[in-house]
Amino acid sequence: MLRLLLIYIKLLSIQIRSQMQYRVSFLLEVISTALLNGMYFASLALVLERFGQIAGWKLGEIAFLAGMAETSFATMDMLFSGFDPDGFSPMVRLGRFDQILLRPINITLQVFGSRFIIRRLGRILEGVTILVISFALTDIQWTIGKMLYLPVVFISQVIAMGSLFVVGGTLIFWTVQPIEAVNIVTYGGTELMTYPMNIYPGWIQRFFTYVIPFVFMNFYPALYFLNKPDPLNFPSFAPFLSPFAALSMLLLAMVFWRFGINHYQSTGS
Amino acid sequence: MSNIIRVANLVKIFRVSNRQPGWFGLVRNLISAEYREVRAVDGINFNLERGELVGYLGPNGAGKSTTLKILTGLLVPTSGEVQVDGYIPWKNRSAYVSRVGAVFGQRTTLWWDLPVIDSFDLLQPMYRIPPQRFRQNLKEFTEILELGPFLNTPVRSLSLGQRMRADLVAALMHDPPLLFLDEPTIGLDVVAKERIRQFIQYIHQKQSTTIILTTHDLSDVEKLCERVIILDLGKVLYDGSLSQLTARFEGNRTMVVTFAEDYRDINLPGVPLPQRQGERVVYTFDPRQISSSELVEQLLGRYRVADLELHRPEIGETIRRIYEEKLLHLK
Repeated sequence: MLRLLLIYIKLLSIQIRSQMQYRVSFLLEVISTALLNGMYFASLALVLERFGQIAGWKLGEIAFLAGMAETSFATMDMLFSGFDPDGFSPMVRLGRFDQILLRPINITLQVFGSRFIIRRLGRILEGVTILVISFALTDIQWTIGKMLYLPVVFISQVIAMGSLFVVGGTLIFWTVQPIEAVNIVTYGGTELMTYPMNIYPGWIQRFFTYVIPFVFMNFYPALYFLNKPDPLNFPSFAPFLSPFAALSMLLLAMVFWRFGINHYQSTGS
Repeated sequence: MSNIIRVANLVKIFRVSNRQPGWFGLVRNLISAEYREVRAVDGINFNLERGELVGYLGPNGAGKSTTLKILTGLLVPTSGEVQVDGYIPWKNRSAYVSRVGAVFGQRTTLWWDLPVIDSFDLLQPMYRIPPQRFRQNLKEFTEILELGPFLNTPVRSLSLGQRMRADLVAALMHDPPLLFLDEPTIGLDVVAKERIRQFIQYIHQKQSTTIILTTHDLSDVEKLCERVIILDLGKVLYDGSLSQLTARFEGNRTMVVTFAEDYRDINLPGVPLPQRQGERVVYTFDPRQISSSELVEQLLGRYRVADLELHRPEIGETIRRIYEEKLLHLK
């Protein structure tokens, strides 16, 4: 176990080293990603300034949703990018996945370590900034419970979004080319989390509740942190479902992943 | 006899979809998928003893790479039995692959963006190579294959020959008792090929590694392998020594003679009519009817000879005849 961790760290550190080779370009990229995504939120903030609120959510409250989703997504994108269908597709096509099968190390760990994009730090930075702004604009009644639950929500979001990357990556074993539909769910779902769920039509709400339980990842926890009433009338424990929903998603994704590997070994596509 | 590899009744059938190109084909394929079965490997049997070096030959699509992929655990066969070094390759994958080295000529097993040395460094914890052994192998292999000048170059910027040498070293760093080489000399120039052959020979002799080698270049086989397995259409056509194969199927040899004097009658009994090519006379003969030494004796007994040259057909020529003229018929 410790050995696996060491190998994972070694895989990451080597990539960090090679990505840091051009330090100036690296820094510029980090800053420009941060600014670019930050501008996006800034324009939203300007609109909100004009209209005051969306469905009863004020700027600071939306900033909480956006900050959480941005930070989690960027972190996920950094950690799970080995499974990112857009990167995993060439890996399978060019036979680099065979290289992984030939190594005496857990396959999943190797895929995790196969790609690590540190310029995502820019977007993490941006997300955290928005989150800090939201703390300043809202008066969250911080309790010990809330303080402990915030990191749990963050990790759950990372896991839930990462599970979608794993599913998308697994589909590559059949399709070889990445499928746009999966990206729509992953990126679109994250985008959706940036706003209060009750602004969406019913079928979208139902999809992101029962098919992909994203509603429990950001929206419900936000209700708890911000002490807002539930417009969708779920049971009162709904804000605390996020770790359970995330772990179930990961479990299913991993079962599918194993199934995909077995398929690959019988077809060798 | 200790067989390190046992392959029995190995079959691999691929289902290839007959999809029409474009969107229409995609939709049609969803409704009624049509598949065609391709028997890439069709009942192969062979055993290898520890320390053998075998050439695995056949034209494109004969099933060479599929067999190798099954032997390395990358593919699960449709049916049949495979035991390698006590393992079933596709089961217990991670324990098995640490006993195996593999080079797939077309594809690198190194990390594309990393300097060569970083790739090697990663292998050490992955295969749990004792640090001292690792350093020793690195030093030795680097010297023999002259990797020194490009150890710090990223794999993506290496030439094909450099990359292949680096791949070979990577495959052998953990002293595997088994080595699978799929076209290790493909696309290389003569010098690079020779260097790789010498290294393979060195490893085989020094560590008595069991090696299976597929190649299109028959001079690889001629220089390295005593035993060859020849495949066609997923079946084994021939399994035996290379010298017996050539003895059985070698085409006609030629003897080129330059006489010291001008002879009018240059016919020899039992030998087809020779051809004059300027100063030289070319005798074409079947080695199964008259041996080279008999021919030389006759020539020297009758004439004053200034020069003699014996040409055997190249091994590639022999193997080509086996395929084209179907000399080894499938039962």
